[in-house]
Amino acid sequence: MGTTSETLVRERRPLAIDRRVTPHLVMKGMGKLVEYLLYAIISLVFLIPFVWMMLGSLRNETEIFQYLYPFGWRTVVPVEWTLKNFLDILGLSPEGKAFGLNFQRYLFNSAFVSFGVVCCSLIFNTLGAYFFARLDFPRKDLLLIFVIATMLVPFEATMVPLYIVIRTLNLHDSYWALIVPWYASPFVIFSLMQFFKEIPKELDEAAIIDGASYLGVLRHVIVPNALLEFQFIWNLFYWPLIAIGKKELQVIQVAIQMQTTQTQIYWGRTFAGAVLASLPVIILFLALQRFYIKGVVMTGLKG
Amino acid sequence: MSGVTVATKPVGLWQRMGQRRTRNYLIAFLFILPALINFTVFRYLPILAAMQASLWQYSLLGGFGDFVGLQHYVNMLDDPLFWKSLQVTGTFVILKVPIQIVLSLALAILLQGEKWVAGFVRSAIFTPVVTSIMVISILWSMMYHSQLGLINSMLSGFGISRQAFLSDPNRALPAVTLMMIWKDMGFSMIILMAGLKGIPDTYYEAAIVDGANRWQAFWHITLPLLQRVLMFVVVTQTIFSFQVFVPVYTMTRGGPIDATKVIVYYIYQYGFLFQDMGYASALSMVTLALLLVVSVIQMRLFRTEVEY
Repeated sequence: MGTTSETLVRERRPLAIDRRVTPHLVMKGMGKLVEYLLYAIISLVFLIPFVWMMLGSLRNETEIFQYLYPFGWRTVVPVEWTLKNFLDILGLSPEGKAFGLNFQRYLFNSAFVSFGVVCCSLIFNTLGAYFFARLDFPRKDLLLIFVIATMLVPFEATMVPLYIVIRTLNLHDSYWALIVPWYASPFVIFSLMQFFKEIPKELDEAAIIDGASYLGVLRHVIVPNALLEFQFIWNLFYWPLIAIGKKELQVIQVAIQMQTTQTQIYWGRTFAGAVLASLPVIILFLALQRFYIKGVVMTGLKG
Repeated sequence: MSGVTVATKPVGLWQRMGQRRTRNYLIAFLFILPALINFTVFRYLPILAAMQASLWQYSLLGGFGDFVGLQHYVNMLDDPLFWKSLQVTGTFVILKVPIQIVLSLALAILLQGEKWVAGFVRSAIFTPVVTSIMVISILWSMMYHSQLGLINSMLSGFGISRQAFLSDPNRALPAVTLMMIWKDMGFSMIILMAGLKGIPDTYYEAAIVDGANRWQAFWHITLPLLQRVLMFVVVTQTIFSFQVFVPVYTMTRGGPIDATKVIVYYIYQYGFLFQDMGYASALSMVTLALLLVVSVIQMRLFRTEVEY
């Protein structure tokens, strides 16, 4: 709303006054200054923890604590840069091996499970959405209610009951437990369905599609939803925590938590683990921001 | 089917049509079947399983024991920790949701522009949203650390002595709440921003012609027209926040002296640490019912007739 009213107010003021240094212009300059200061403060508030994490992962353990007091730029910026923390947790250095650290495996598990869910969910959700948008079936409306009502099932509050089911099916402690519950999503089916409905049916019946409309589906629906799905699965903690007991099947989010419950906590390694657990999604987000925001708004507003 | 075709070839066509239609239905059903199985087994069945388990003595190691009927639910009434966990969860939601929504609405209005600076700040605010709640919890518990934390280091720059955050029963819950506001703010900001974009410019132009200032325009145009989106954000954030688990699990383990024992953590404790799945299931059922009631009430409260 700010922009509209601002431009309108500006238009109504005679230009001649604006050229001279008037109290109004000084106020305006001050306003700009305050605005940019505000931007800087907000950015710092949201970014400092990440900067602290990333730079902290690149310094020696003792150095992290050495410069805490008084607070200065050395509190955050390393004196001596090192990759040792990463080599340790990935099990590539002798110390890491001695500790039995194996983050390569956990990273692989997280990536495998996330890609698995995204692929399955692309297939099954597209089929489901196509069914609702295009195919004939008696009482489709009831089925749609059945699908949409699952959006109301709260997530974290049903993890323990879900575990009872997975255990009864004997799927716990396997990759299946991490993939199978999420291969279909009411949110994705719903947003894809709306998109299929927008493409005129005659187009695909006459088989004259130049690919444009399906490319549109890909760009506007599938990529955003796949991104959200990937992030959702990659970031899961509670479910893998209870569903997986075997250490070698554990995902990165649980692995970094386990690190912090040991008797001696290494801050450098904890930082490095946090970087590995968060950087993939942060990079994906920064690279594909437009699609990402689209996905959030789509599932947020339409769903 | 037009009557004419039916009349010319009555029996044969009807049969063939019937068969073809059944076959088409069958094929169509195969499209939706995988999704239906998923929702039945992994969304609805858990609720039924919890309902069943809540009526029995049931532990993961021992399996089903005696049938206890509604005993778990009766016990819940006398369980001070259950009430405490409800109170803690409620406090968390009531603290978090309003502050988060007000701040994110302010940010949405401030950062609406197309300028690259605004875009940069938006990305900064959104970074915690995409980052896992586990990473955020670990980072913030390190920042809150009473001796080695970044926050205490910064406070020392202002001459403020070291503070305990997570180990102080009065501060632990506000500290977790602050972190969660910080994490979720970008999400509500983006949704509200999309809502703001949906308000036609002509409304503001008309208001300015009528001599309204920006504040008046906000109260009389933005807020009423944003009501539906605001309602959506409030309801979803309330439901999300009600189920907070990971920060409590990682940062405080429900402590100190149960100051952060939220309901989902209490359920986890009963099911997996105390090995009492029956009681944990009963707690889950009550939480589900509460969430349903809360969201229905909220939808009623915020219902709006304004359409644009």
